[in-house]
Amino acid sequence: MNRERNELRATLRKEFPRNRGQLLPALHFLHHEYGYLPDWAMEVVGWHLGIPSSEVYGAATSYTELRVRKPAEHILRVCTGLSCWLNGGKQLMEELRAALSDGTSSDRVTFEETPCAYICGVAPVAEIDGTWHGRVKAGTLNAMAREVSS
Amino acid sequence: MTETVADALQSLHNSVVGEQRSRVGRTRVVVQVGHCSMSVGATELADAVAKTLPQDVYLVTAGCDGACFAGPKLTVNHADGRSDEYWNISAETAKKGYMVQRPTDLKQQDESGSAEFMNRQHRLTLAGCGVLDALGIGDYILSGGYSGLARALSLSPEEVIEDVLASGLRGRGGAYFPAALKWRGARTVMNTPRYLVVNCEEGEPGLFKDHHLMEGVPHRIIEGAIIAAYASDVHESYIYINAEANLSADRMQVAIDNAYEAGLLGANIMSSGFSLEMQIVRGAGGYVCGDETTLLNTMEGQRREPRQRPPFPTEAGLWGRPTVINNAETLSSVPFILSSGSDAFASIGTDDDKGTKIVSLSGAVRNGGLVEVPMGTTLREIIFDMGGGLKDDRELTAIAVGGPSSGIFPVSMLDTPIKPGFIHESGVMLGAGGVIAIDDSVSVVEMMRKLAAYNADESCGKCTPCREGTPRMVELVDGIISGEASTSDLNDLGQLAELVNAASLCGLGQAAGNPILSVLHFFGDELAMMTDTD
Repeated sequence: MNRERNELRATLRKEFPRNRGQLLPALHFLHHEYGYLPDWAMEVVGWHLGIPSSEVYGAATSYTELRVRKPAEHILRVCTGLSCWLNGGKQLMEELRAALSDGTSSDRVTFEETPCAYICGVAPVAEIDGTWHGRVKAGTLNAMAREVSS
Repeated sequence: MTETVADALQSLHNSVVGEQRSRVGRTRVVVQVGHCSMSVGATELADAVAKTLPQDVYLVTAGCDGACFAGPKLTVNHADGRSDEYWNISAETAKKGYMVQRPTDLKQQDESGSAEFMNRQHRLTLAGCGVLDALGIGDYILSGGYSGLARALSLSPEEVIEDVLASGLRGRGGAYFPAALKWRGARTVMNTPRYLVVNCEEGEPGLFKDHHLMEGVPHRIIEGAIIAAYASDVHESYIYINAEANLSADRMQVAIDNAYEAGLLGANIMSSGFSLEMQIVRGAGGYVCGDETTLLNTMEGQRREPRQRPPFPTEAGLWGRPTVINNAETLSSVPFILSSGSDAFASIGTDDDKGTKIVSLSGAVRNGGLVEVPMGTTLREIIFDMGGGLKDDRELTAIAVGGPSSGIFPVSMLDTPIKPGFIHESGVMLGAGGVIAIDDSVSVVEMMRKLAAYNADESCGKCTPCREGTPRMVELVDGIISGEASTSDLNDLGQLAELVNAASLCGLGQAAGNPILSVLHFFGDELAMMTDTD
């Protein structure tokens, strides 16, 4: 762990000037690197930028798009916005829940709803491991979901 | 136009003509790749076309033109001037050989109303979107791009401000504040450096216009931003882009790099003596970032929450310096005003509300996508003429206008024209221009709950009425849905919605009650039927 901390600290020193405006860019960097924001890494960012960990954590948790918990190997997101809902998103969700046995996140899949994916013209939409699929059908989505979860 | 600036524009033009000489007389194939069409196979299509490209044909990657219902979309401009459009074309089709699919029969489409989608629009900020090369600066310059900047640089900043004020341009992010007043506000505060932030965060559900602008016509945003910076006496600018909008950020970065290379950014722009630096910053989600002061907090490494106003950002914004924050669509209107004149812009729209507005049209509508229309266009024209009516002959039951800060209209309000600010006193606003056609497959109360739940989730928690009130409103709505609510609950709900609106600091809280209030106003009878009378 110490080695990881030191390595991260060295990287931050190289990549990020030590001012508070670098907090969000540094958090983005962590998110990209680890897939979420590990506590220890946020602490290191705090040391580097001279911000108390509590404030780093406070800022990080105020953003809807940053994860503070480690997600499963695969991330599955279904848009439940108005347009998707009106174009079969509701049925999509129900069938997907049924297909994923208990319908909740497992060790292999983190299952989430998102309020909008901003691609409403091709609704309904779902995302598997960072790739959005538009005009998605329940059968196709369930098959993709089963593939990543098995 | 001063001679040096005119010369700079001319030499820019000449160099593009030189670069594009090899394209003359060849067939041009345009594939529209944007974040919407990528989800339905546009990237694969572009790859497949690139692999099967005959020698006398060149390929151009454009952004999406906003006809989401037709994507992925491919256009062939033949050397003899004819052109064919292909809608919903797959990579498999393209792989089988060059264009085996028949071109989309636009005449036939006309009968189903799809061709009307484009024909009825007034494209100004979206002009060239889906046509121009999104990865180079050449097409934009040849289409008249940066001539607005050239004219601006030959005027004094105050003349530019007067010109844009005369055009009647107001901010397209939802607040509709006269854009040039912000510029004047910032330039008259004697505290430097000043900053310009272009708000491309677009965190409002149901909206997808800024993505399209960034991916299709990024240079129009940049040109508008340079003009705004010149008028505001700003030399440092930021393009604020949502963390998940990677394609938009990539395209903007390419465009910024190209603009630097062409001498349109950096020191001594077009030999005018004016200098401007531009860089991208990434947000991390959130409707509340639509509030200017919240956006500034995120740039300063603070929590995502609003600040007390005054001082307004034009007085004390980023790092306490005068800061102009303009929406991407607002700035995309500016080059037209400078190049074609403020009268040309003011002649579009109505007597009170000038110019065009991009509407993000979606829901149960047949032709979902972006429609740019003059202010004053009615919802009926948008949904039925351009949108082609509802899919599968479903029936329209309600229209959600303006996103979670706004409200829901019944069908009887279809002839309401769009305009800045409130379009109905019950809490329906145009906002940033989302229009969602609702049919009877989902109840209006369920839609209201979705909007209310979204506001509750997005509330940053700073102001008590919003923090406590938004979840409580959702609870009350849940009571109505489950049939446990009484008439007095309906009254409580209305009062709470008014209170949250009245006692919150930022735009999210001040409008969080609107979905509730509008549904109470228009669908009160339905709600009353769902509640106990005692």
